[in-house]
Amino acid sequence: MNALTASRPTHALAECVRARPLLGTLVEIAASGEHVDAVQLAISDAFDEVERVHQLMSYQSADSDISRINRDGFEQAVTVASDTWLVLEAAGRFSAASEGLFDITVAPTLTKLGFLPRHAGFPRISGQGNWQHVVLLPDRRVQLARRLRIDVSGIAKGYAVDRAVAALQRAGMHSGRVNAGGDLRIFGDSAQIIHVRHPAVPTQLLPIVELMQGAVATSAGYYAQRRYQGRLVTPLIHPHTRIAADVQRSVSIFAEDCMTADALTKVVHADPVRAVAMLAQFDARAVMLEPDAATGGCRVFDTSHLQPAIWRTRVIS
Amino acid sequence: MSNFDRWMMVPALIIPAAASAPAFAVQYMTVEQAQKVMFPAADAFEAKIVSLTDEQKNAIETASGVRVRSNEIRAWRASQGGKAAGWFMLDEVYGKHEFITYAVAIGTDGAVKDVEILEYRETHGSEVTNAKWRAQFVGKKAGDTLKLDEDIRNISGATLSCKHLTDGVKRLLATYAAVLK
Repeated sequence: MNALTASRPTHALAECVRARPLLGTLVEIAASGEHVDAVQLAISDAFDEVERVHQLMSYQSADSDISRINRDGFEQAVTVASDTWLVLEAAGRFSAASEGLFDITVAPTLTKLGFLPRHAGFPRISGQGNWQHVVLLPDRRVQLARRLRIDVSGIAKGYAVDRAVAALQRAGMHSGRVNAGGDLRIFGDSAQIIHVRHPAVPTQLLPIVELMQGAVATSAGYYAQRRYQGRLVTPLIHPHTRIAADVQRSVSIFAEDCMTADALTKVVHADPVRAVAMLAQFDARAVMLEPDAATGGCRVFDTSHLQPAIWRTRVIS
Repeated sequence: MSNFDRWMMVPALIIPAAASAPAFAVQYMTVEQAQKVMFPAADAFEAKIVSLTDEQKNAIETASGVRVRSNEIRAWRASQGGKAAGWFMLDEVYGKHEFITYAVAIGTDGAVKDVEILEYRETHGSEVTNAKWRAQFVGKKAGDTLKLDEDIRNISGATLSCKHLTDGVKRLLATYAAVLK
């Protein structure tokens, strides 16, 4: 680190920022480095990484690893790419640590609510089973022990951000950031302010913390909610009850890597009380915002960086 | 558990007073920069401005299933050493709260090579600069103060749907087939 700082040139670095529609959202990638051409090339490589993860793990695309598992995984083991394998392994870890509050098998509920498409020709599901029935076999083979359907979009977006950041770092960028619709990771030597949206008034941006290095993922119902049988629902499904989370709560998780942050937002949405015990294990911090109808303000719950983590807040008059 | 319950009952209430900060907007690239990034080997971009006839407009709408709002097509033919490299098309889409200028690169095979955003603007956004709000989050992880005079660069939270953009790309592909191919 010191050697790097010492060798840093005195002239201004070239900084570029670009955005592309990927992962069903706008993905923004910024980087700074020695020459503008090298920076643009690094950003292109980082976008390629995001696109690769997207193609491997998309639920929508019929030839992704995930669709192959959903189509054939009950009948026979399906061999997947190493990235998909890493994500499924991580998903299993988050599920075990949260006693199933994180679960990639809620896909049928998401389909029922209209968040995920129906695939013609995919086998019928049994309606039974959970994450424990996604069996990881040697040689990157995956088998379903029940007639399930999996969706890794609650974790793969964070993984894609991590891969993109790794690509920027491999290319020798001095600093960078990748933001995939709220799954955000930065590196470099200057602190950056992270804003979140007001959960009830999403065009209002609330500054919540300065971050130098690491990831933050936010999930909330605004912009994602839709109407199902006359009721507003979110794609945040409680794995045990299969009920969609409250529309008006925003959860942000700060962690070292974006995949962890992404996965933990689902756990906190499902059960803030039980989730808080998990945060320390992953060295994560949670900030939860709820709108207050009476005042137009927000209630703020913050685990801060205490060990062990507890929900706390400072009372402001 | 008891901690959470306690705070649930006595929450801190923060009333964020929206200041008159400008709406959130990012200028990613100029047209020239985007052309260079999307066709790095090209050495010439020949502008072609097309006004759609009603007939062409209908054909595009039928082929793409997307409404054509503007008759003006802004396209550039990219070439390298006089040899065609593809088309660069500039367009914009807008939704309820956002306005996006973007470019599509179409290769010589007629397929979309890349989509790049040139400008993204949220029409009603504002930053909350309430001092009490700032005090709430000071110095927990990195720096000691929130310096709110900088541009907003990092929003963690869902962005707007990409639906308009996806529709726009479909419309441009149909436009390419109808008038540029």
